[in-house]
Amino acid sequence: MTDPIITFDNVTYTYPGTETPALDSISFSVLPGEYVAVLGLNGAGTTTLGLCVNGVVPTMLGGDLEGTVTVAGLDVGEYAVREMAKIVGMVFDNPEFQMSQLSAAEEIAVGLENAGVPYEDMIRIIPETLALVGLAGFEERSPLGLSGGQQQRLAIAAVLAMSPQILIMDEPTSNLDPIGKQEVFDMAARLNKEKGMTVIVIEHEVEVMARYADRVIVLNEGKVVLNGTPHDIFSRVDELAALHLRVPESAALSTLLARQGLWKGETPTRTESAVDAVNTLLEARRG
Amino acid sequence: MSMQGALPVSLIPGDSVLHRVHPLPKMIWVVLYVVVAFMTQNIIVLYGMALLALLLGIIGGVVKPLLKAAFIIVPIGSSLLALQLMAPAVEQPWTQIAQLGPITLYEDGLYYGLVLLGRIVACLLMALVVVMTTHPSDLFTTLSKLKVPYTLNFMMAMTLQLIPVFQREVGIILSAQKSRGMKGNGFQAVLPSFVPVFVGAIERVQQLSISLESRGFGSAGHKTSYRQVRGKASDWVLAVIAIAAAALLGTVSIMRGGWSVSELLVVEPATAVAVWVVSASVFLGIIAFALILSFRKS
Repeated sequence: MTDPIITFDNVTYTYPGTETPALDSISFSVLPGEYVAVLGLNGAGTTTLGLCVNGVVPTMLGGDLEGTVTVAGLDVGEYAVREMAKIVGMVFDNPEFQMSQLSAAEEIAVGLENAGVPYEDMIRIIPETLALVGLAGFEERSPLGLSGGQQQRLAIAAVLAMSPQILIMDEPTSNLDPIGKQEVFDMAARLNKEKGMTVIVIEHEVEVMARYADRVIVLNEGKVVLNGTPHDIFSRVDELAALHLRVPESAALSTLLARQGLWKGETPTRTESAVDAVNTLLEARRG
Repeated sequence: MSMQGALPVSLIPGDSVLHRVHPLPKMIWVVLYVVVAFMTQNIIVLYGMALLALLLGIIGGVVKPLLKAAFIIVPIGSSLLALQLMAPAVEQPWTQIAQLGPITLYEDGLYYGLVLLGRIVACLLMALVVVMTTHPSDLFTTLSKLKVPYTLNFMMAMTLQLIPVFQREVGIILSAQKSRGMKGNGFQAVLPSFVPVFVGAIERVQQLSISLESRGFGSAGHKTSYRQVRGKASDWVLAVIAIAAAALLGTVSIMRGGWSVSELLVVEPATAVAVWVVSASVFLGIIAFALILSFRKS
């Protein structure tokens, strides 16, 4: 049994100047190499949860944290965010707000410079990382002149260059067009599969989560309400509806059909499995 | 969509001799220009320096944007000449040269006005030439080699990056306000957009600081630099020549008490009047133009 890389042990967190806790008695753990999707309405505490992992909460934002967050064996509360940078890479929703340099190469170099990576290594790492996110040859381009999807992939490259063990993405595609979304999710899935990177994605895109994630955690009002495989979670159509959360269209459709007695058997959560199930159903009718 | 073009003064990409000079000698030139310009009162030296800077601009192939950016001298220069002619910034007694109704023009004022103008023109042109032929990142890398703190350097580099962003943001907010029926043009219209732009800026900065901190910004210990700026022997020759020339000009200026050559400037009263009329009308014209622009209703 592998040791978990992230452990939340009864974590309750209240932002400075507020009464209601943003996170309320949260406990869960993530294994190395897992792809975890965190689902929840805005204000459910999903962003706060992400910020806990690299210590922005509470080190940078203050507030009151109870319980412990352990990441790669370190108690996050004891370390500065910049020290966690080697372990946790963090990408936020607005890619443009994460750009600070005049060229893509320099944007990636920020983290490396701060980590004291020698120049000889940098000139190797930077093109490698750009190629990894599909931006090969973009070294001298201005970050602000890139498309949204390219900017977000550059933001991801900027944290990947520091080779963290964990990649956390907080609504990484909320500002992107469909192609940009696809680019980012494909890349995260590739990093997870090929490099064994632990990925945590905070998202509203349930179809994508059903496709890629190993596990889905659902937050509501700061509490973990559901925690399980995508199939397990997204089959609970009514429970999610009560939380005002969407389910994949395939699950929604099959549930409606089941209510009319037209669908028997499992609830499909992926489009492919829905297509297969519908085909079987149609063939049975024809036959 | 090029954001770089939005900056009035920035690197003009090129591959001239000047572009390839190490940033340090260039920075030394600017510093020396300022030092010499404020030590001397010799207009031949001052305008010679300005001419040299212009020549460097031609060598660097940036003469067109250089002159465009240097246009800012017009309002400053015209006001300077007009005011100095009426009230010289030197000790009395002043030599009267012409009388225009209630206004008295002084010869000392004309000379000293030209000295002040020469200082501004020389230093401005030199600084512009250096900025326009040096990649900002190389400039900051050189500064950090000179032990300028990383954070300070980073702040300056980021400012360059953020100016065009904020320009665009002001544009978006103005359009939004106009689409909701706000009237007004020029400065009047910009004023109400300050609050949303400012709030947006704070949010952006907070997000950026979290993002940077997450990438290890501010960690203790040895930092490395991605940009490598290497100097050639010729760069140091250029720096040494500049230092020697500046030392010579500076020493002569001090020994001759400012090295003023006002006796060389013999002006007819009519010339003084003409200079005053032209500079005063240019200055007032610019003010009137700016006022009209800002108060014109849409």
